[in-house]
Amino acid sequence: MKKLLTLTAALCTLSSTASAATTLQYWLWDANQQPAYQQCAVNFTKKNPDITVKITQKGWNDYWTGLTTGFVSGTAPDVFTNHLAYFPEFARNNQLVDINPLIKRDKVATNIYYPGLAQLWTKDGKRYGLPKDFDTVAIFYNADLLAKAGLKPADLANLTWNPKDGGTWQRTIARLTLDKQGNNGLSPKFNKKQVAQYGYMTPYGAGFNGQTEWAFYTATTGWKHNNGLFGTKYNYDDPRFAQTIQWLADLNLKHGLIPSFQEVQASGGDSLFRAGKAVMVTNGSWMISDYTSKLPFKVGIAPLPKGPDGTRKSMFNGLADSIWVGSKNQDAAWKWVKYLASAECQNVVGRTGVVLPAIPSATNLAVAAHKARGVDSSVFVNQAKAKGGTFLFPITDAAAQVNDIMTSTMQKVFLGQAKAADVLGDANAKVNALFK
Amino acid sequence: MTTVPTTQTAHHRPRKPFPLGRLLAYLALTLVILISLFPIWIVLKTALTGSRSLFTEAASLWPSEPTLINFKRVLGLVSLEEAQAAGGSGSAVNFLAAMKNSVIFTGLIVLGQTFFSAMAAYAFARLKFPGRDAIFTLFLVAMMIPGIVLFIPNFITIKNLGWLNTIPGMVAPFILMTPFAVFFLRQFFLSLPRETEEAAFLDGAGPFTIFWRITLPMSQGPLATLAILTAIGMWNEFFWPFLIAKDEASFTLPVALQVFKSQTPQGVPDWTGLMAGTFVAAIPVFLLLVFLGRRVVESLAFSGTK
Repeated sequence: MKKLLTLTAALCTLSSTASAATTLQYWLWDANQQPAYQQCAVNFTKKNPDITVKITQKGWNDYWTGLTTGFVSGTAPDVFTNHLAYFPEFARNNQLVDINPLIKRDKVATNIYYPGLAQLWTKDGKRYGLPKDFDTVAIFYNADLLAKAGLKPADLANLTWNPKDGGTWQRTIARLTLDKQGNNGLSPKFNKKQVAQYGYMTPYGAGFNGQTEWAFYTATTGWKHNNGLFGTKYNYDDPRFAQTIQWLADLNLKHGLIPSFQEVQASGGDSLFRAGKAVMVTNGSWMISDYTSKLPFKVGIAPLPKGPDGTRKSMFNGLADSIWVGSKNQDAAWKWVKYLASAECQNVVGRTGVVLPAIPSATNLAVAAHKARGVDSSVFVNQAKAKGGTFLFPITDAAAQVNDIMTSTMQKVFLGQAKAADVLGDANAKVNALFK
Repeated sequence: MTTVPTTQTAHHRPRKPFPLGRLLAYLALTLVILISLFPIWIVLKTALTGSRSLFTEAASLWPSEPTLINFKRVLGLVSLEEAQAAGGSGSAVNFLAAMKNSVIFTGLIVLGQTFFSAMAAYAFARLKFPGRDAIFTLFLVAMMIPGIVLFIPNFITIKNLGWLNTIPGMVAPFILMTPFAVFFLRQFFLSLPRETEEAAFLDGAGPFTIFWRITLPMSQGPLATLAILTAIGMWNEFFWPFLIAKDEASFTLPVALQVFKSQTPQGVPDWTGLMAGTFVAAIPVFLLLVFLGRRVVESLAFSGTK
């Protein structure tokens, strides 16, 4: 605290004495990450006394509205945290600076990150951002409820899944699901109409990528979203995809082992897990601190179940910082982006453990920070390191339209209004028509 | 002896017929009050809950360990470390600055809209000029245009004026008038007795004097009603200030409280902080209604009998 105060004081004197000072506007959406990046900004100004960075945080939904109106009105921030689902559209509308020439000029190394991360931000030989963090998906579980059911964390370490009977994964979910009489989902007396505790919950998030909802299942069946980065042909009509989605929907519709779509919508996201009414939830590494430090029960982390191909596969995604073409402080903006992507800033972020930085050594700091708090987050890193353990986020043009089509179609399946196999073919045709 | 009168009255009371209708009315009233207060109670209860127990205690009506930490967080009374240790988000609101912006924003609009709408309404009600009725019809048509359609042209105008991030930019679309206010006041002015004004006219008063010294004082009730309705609406207005105020220094309260809303797509909002902020933000409106609410009721009753 004292250190922070002195730094802030130093920053104040610096900003008041520097005469030709530049103030950079920097936006991010995650309030939990803001303090870490604030620290980076303070350190950055120490090295560049003529530049101060003003950080603004806006919640996820308003963030993108704010950016878009900012582009139009000339009030967008100089630098902002960018997401793979949004950058193709921004790039197509010429809102982002191609930083490749700057990288060449300054000889910035782009191979210091986890393999594949830097590549996500390139298109047609242009580059729109430098990686700041990465994320993979795993199972978070309520350790208290797990122990109550007589299971050990090790019992979750080697689960298997398949879309036919759900494998040991589904049996574990059933064992952890209890009705009001205390019968678990494996018992013939289990009453699926009166469930008191669910073994697992999915936030449904029926979007086009299914990062934390279904993509880690579908990938192990050999299914792929589309034909590669910036793909133009989608595979939502594949039977393997339909089987997996139907299996997930049936966990509720047929078996009553997970909360219904309506229940999740009404309580919002992962609320049932937070309320201690669902034992397991699948989510991304950016939730580690949130889950493990802010809930009144102990939360453990387990690897994803292995799928039909015998492996576990997680989507590999990451954020980057982009420069807006309209920025009047391009040089300062580039310096800041370079700093954000450097080991120096990523170590600061890593030590807070709030996300897993894109540079492996900084990630180790984050894992150590979690360990010091009694949380083992190595599952996420192991998943990223495992050969073939990850597949890339399906970066696409027209992401918003693809998302709309898939969201409404999958909702019908999750609500039990349609069978996956009957409606996904049409949806896929609509999606592919967007790219003609 | 002295006790006799009391026993007498005590005997008298039960003899009266039991007012069943009144009892039912009170029951219904109590029920309605409870139903309307319930959401406010949930806001307050959530604000008093520690964020750790928020979800596990969602169904109970009173937090097991009530805490003021959320209010302190919102008002910036605790450090970032303490706020995060309490389960809060890493973001902070400059509550006083936002409150100040909200007061200026709402105050200017209430004053401007009430006064200018009254002038327009007076003109429509009393003055004779060519095309008056046609213009008034246009006004009524304007009421049918959904506000959302106007956002984009308004935004472009404000942007071209260079008024982004400024108070003029934030109040511009609202300060002059709304068709509803003009319509509402015109109807009231039409119902005022003409004789008073004619007498003043004979005494040599011009239209503005009549408007200022006779019509306005006679219309305190409806003007207060309009002012209060406008104040409540503008205090809660979110979208326009959100579009115009890009910079934290010009945030109004509803915009500033956004930092507690969704942070990551999969994360949950900082509910306890948001509810504490919302509760504090609602207090001025609450006070306004406590002190001026009677006026509104009176004016509505007044215009109702006309």
